[in-house]
Amino acid sequence: MKGYVRYFVGKSLWFLITLFFAFILNFMLPRLMPGDPVAGIVARMAQGMTEAAGVQAIYEQYTELFGLNKPLYEQFFIYVNNVLHGDFGYSISQYPRTVADVIGSSILWTVILQLPAIIVGWMIGNVLGALAAYRKSGFDKVLMPTSLFMSSLPAFGMAVILLVLFAVSMELFPTSGGYGFDMIPNFSWGFIWSVIMHYQLPFWSIVLVLIGGQAIGMRSMAIYELNADYVKFSRFMGIKDNKILRYVFRNAMLPQVTGLALAIGTLVGGALVAEIIFSYPGLGTTILSAVLGGDYPLISATALIITIMVLVSTFIIEILYGFIDPRIKAAQTDD
Amino acid sequence: MKHTIRQVFRSGKFVVGFIIFMIIIAFVVFYPLFVRNPPLEIIGQGTFFPPGVYVNVFDSIDSSTRYTLNLDDATAKRIASKLNEDDRLAMGEWLVASGIAESEINTADTALLMDQWLNNFDSKLSIPGMTNAKRNYFIRLDASLDGLLSEEGAIIAARDADTGELEEKEVIAQTDYVNIGQAANIRVLPLGTDNFGRDVLTELVKATGVSLLIGFIAGLIATGIGLSLGLLAGYVGGIVDDGIMFVTNLFTVIPTIVLLILISFSIGQEHRGPVTIAVVIGFTSWVWTTRAVRAQVISLRNRDHVNLSKLSGHSTVRIILLSILPFIASYVVMALILQISAGILAEASLSILGLGPRTTDIPTLGLMLNWAFIYQAQVLGQWWAYIPVILVIALIAFSLNLMNTGLDQVFNPALRE
Amino acid sequence: MSNVILEVHDLSTKYITRYDENVYAVDGVSLQVEEGKSLGIAGESGCGKSTLALSLMGYYFPPLHYTKGEIIIDGRNISGMDPDAVRKAVLGNEIAYIPQSAMNALNPTQKIINIIQDVVRAHDSRVSKDEIYEHAKESFGNLGLPPEVLQKYPSELSGGMKQRTVIAISVILSPIVLIADEPSSALDVTSQKMVIKMLRQLMDQGLIKALIFITHELPLLYNVTDDIMVMYAGQIVERGSAKELVFDPLHPYSKGLMGSIIVPERGIKGAKLTAIPGVPPNLKDPPSGCRFAERCKYARPACTVTSVTLNDLGNGRAYRCIIPEEELKEIYKNG
Repeated sequence: MKGYVRYFVGKSLWFLITLFFAFILNFMLPRLMPGDPVAGIVARMAQGMTEAAGVQAIYEQYTELFGLNKPLYEQFFIYVNNVLHGDFGYSISQYPRTVADVIGSSILWTVILQLPAIIVGWMIGNVLGALAAYRKSGFDKVLMPTSLFMSSLPAFGMAVILLVLFAVSMELFPTSGGYGFDMIPNFSWGFIWSVIMHYQLPFWSIVLVLIGGQAIGMRSMAIYELNADYVKFSRFMGIKDNKILRYVFRNAMLPQVTGLALAIGTLVGGALVAEIIFSYPGLGTTILSAVLGGDYPLISATALIITIMVLVSTFIIEILYGFIDPRIKAAQTDD
Repeated sequence: MKHTIRQVFRSGKFVVGFIIFMIIIAFVVFYPLFVRNPPLEIIGQGTFFPPGVYVNVFDSIDSSTRYTLNLDDATAKRIASKLNEDDRLAMGEWLVASGIAESEINTADTALLMDQWLNNFDSKLSIPGMTNAKRNYFIRLDASLDGLLSEEGAIIAARDADTGELEEKEVIAQTDYVNIGQAANIRVLPLGTDNFGRDVLTELVKATGVSLLIGFIAGLIATGIGLSLGLLAGYVGGIVDDGIMFVTNLFTVIPTIVLLILISFSIGQEHRGPVTIAVVIGFTSWVWTTRAVRAQVISLRNRDHVNLSKLSGHSTVRIILLSILPFIASYVVMALILQISAGILAEASLSILGLGPRTTDIPTLGLMLNWAFIYQAQVLGQWWAYIPVILVIALIAFSLNLMNTGLDQVFNPALRE
Repeated sequence: MSNVILEVHDLSTKYITRYDENVYAVDGVSLQVEEGKSLGIAGESGCGKSTLALSLMGYYFPPLHYTKGEIIIDGRNISGMDPDAVRKAVLGNEIAYIPQSAMNALNPTQKIINIIQDVVRAHDSRVSKDEIYEHAKESFGNLGLPPEVLQKYPSELSGGMKQRTVIAISVILSPIVLIADEPSSALDVTSQKMVIKMLRQLMDQGLIKALIFITHELPLLYNVTDDIMVMYAGQIVERGSAKELVFDPLHPYSKGLMGSIIVPERGIKGAKLTAIPGVPPNLKDPPSGCRFAERCKYARPACTVTSVTLNDLGNGRAYRCIIPEEELKEIYKNG
């Protein structure tokens, strides 16, 4: 267990360090750009807003929020302090809502959409890849080019194809939104059913794209493992094929788990874009409307939230990985 | 080298990918030689004209030669184009509701149906259970049927310059045809027009070229950075390695899309040209190449030929160039191919989010999608505005991935079985 | 004549590729190994020697398939037996195999003792864990391996140690014949020596009764085995005692193999490697005449016409060439 504790501490430290750098990046990028960030924000804001009182309020708020007259490190502390209190200021495009409020109403949609989609897609992809590696014949020949094509499609491409097929031509599913546009969120059956129907297409578009990539990766890993010398050695020592296969697939699975941890940032990025196609009320759509509205505070905060979400999921996967890979638990501390 | 290339071209996957890619390139290069229209010229007043051949109405009426063709089914076709199956059924429904026996109605018999309709339809009649929308539909339908069965021609009149009176010039019979080859103004729009009324095909070809260029620049930058850092980290090792790996690990977990969003937004609309976007993408996507190259170099670092080169007192640069680079060249090429494909996708994603290159004279694949989605083309069923674009993106990515898989199988025989 | 342990008659096996092509990797090989003797098999990579090693086990899995021939171990013909019976009764128990690279010969996610448990239980599921542990400890001790190795993962062992562990596991069920497929090629010189010493020790201690050692370095065999067999394109091209083959090779191919090492006395610069030009023929469609003719310096028109049979000189010596023994010796003498 000693080895695992060391692994856990190491990963936690690394998590904190990346988190710190994520804050720094988020803090520094607008300040690195030429010009006064507050002035820039207000300039963009002036195009979109008509309320003079609102403009004034935001200007004061951001002068204080950015604390530009203070030294940089102090600015950073103010920033971190604000973030930790969930204080991201007012949204420009949706004034007088606060940024925290806007994000709060969309973050759950994104999490509920992406988390299950990534888990389901990863699992189906790995099972198919393992099967393709084991049954080389017809299954492999059909699955591989299909997977390659599917993984070449960006998530938004798959989203559009599903949308056109199942929503526009067949009219089986609604085309856009998170629930019926004429509904008010509540816990009635009608509402839940509407949410489920709206969920299907965005969900499967993420899953299908993920399946392709994961299947290809798993297939390569499994073929590599199947050709490994330990398979030959175990076979010729008389160990049964079923048992060997179990080891092969477990060993092939391990890099796939770390692969997921490394790829999750890319996956989330693709899925955010897919949200836009379906006008799904998540963070992706929030970014688009923030960009269109020149809403810097909203974009910056959304970016930070997404980064934190990705970092946390990466961290969780790595912690779980420590449990699956026996070598980590057993690693001796003496070398 | 020659042998390797021959081997690569023997891989079926590589060849298929290569051919698809070359066809795309050929389109980008040769299409503008034949079609010289500016790619972003607004030719249509209105949004999303469907694909097809557009014949100038004035020219076809004004055509000096008119041909009479005696075609039996012309009338039937004309009626069918105005009166589709759904309309017929709806008419039948109305007739039943208005009190005509169902056995007397035959929706397939146009003449009978029209006769019954004209005799019985009353826009004021209120049928129980009929919604307002349905009522309006029937009124519109009735109006469109007006004169459908008439066999008279259309009269062309010209305004007399002196009196201002309309004078009948000629009658266009229903059997009159013009030869499309003799019409002065014809425009073929194989993929219709987009939301701004621009020729989608011409725009698409140009956009493909620009996106490929963006992918190429981004790929070169990313591979260049990745290769240099990977070589440095792998070969030099020690503190340099630790430092580079620290940064690499950091940028691996921080999602690229977030960096792209922040940087693109910070740059501001005015400064975001295609090249700028390509550079930004390149500078945010080198991590994977760095990792791969470093791993390769570490496995090579202690090989005999490298040691021999070290013992012979060759300079580090020379060792890297002559003893290490040739061995990782195949990986670098594969990484470059992947980076190009990733760069094109990154541009598309960024543009859909509204942060793509902001140009008024050059389209990109991502921008085309952005325009189409903002105008809700995907919901309204205007497929020509985005399906061809997505198809091109998918084909480029697919062909590059195929080439890459092919190369991988040539250089990593374990995957070949 | 002493007791024959392993006898092979006219063994042929083939690979069936994904495109249903047959690759005749082993073509009519006969050999025998007597008790207490060792046999070396030499040849370039791709000449079928590794496939022969796999074929000798009597246990085939795709893409390798059995065509014809007999394998008799200690008086029992195993070539007609049911595969599962071979797995249970022969593999590990009577004939054991050490694959090319020890680096990958052990499942990386299992402790050594668990690998041993799997091997033992595959043949007799009733043995208790404690019994297996005791047996393994004793068996490892006899071979000079510390018992701590049992509790480690393969990745925690050094290259040389891993190789010795693989050998120790391969003889855990006291097989009669051990087949070692280039066990030393991936190791440094010290470890190579240790492996060879260990294999000899196995013979000396009577732990195994016969050894087959496969390598691409013909001269190496002189120090290791009693007899040598040279393979080319799936066939035996020459066999004889180690001394005869190393110092007095008859077949031009054996001669070429002997020439493809550096002779230290002549100085490194002068002694260019006389590697044999060309590559072994494609075994999908082997040449009709002598299979080596294409690359042979001494080839004559007659060589490519009819297939060449093994020319038996008696006393275990044989070679596959149409040129008479005396004439070949004359040619070699004159360089």
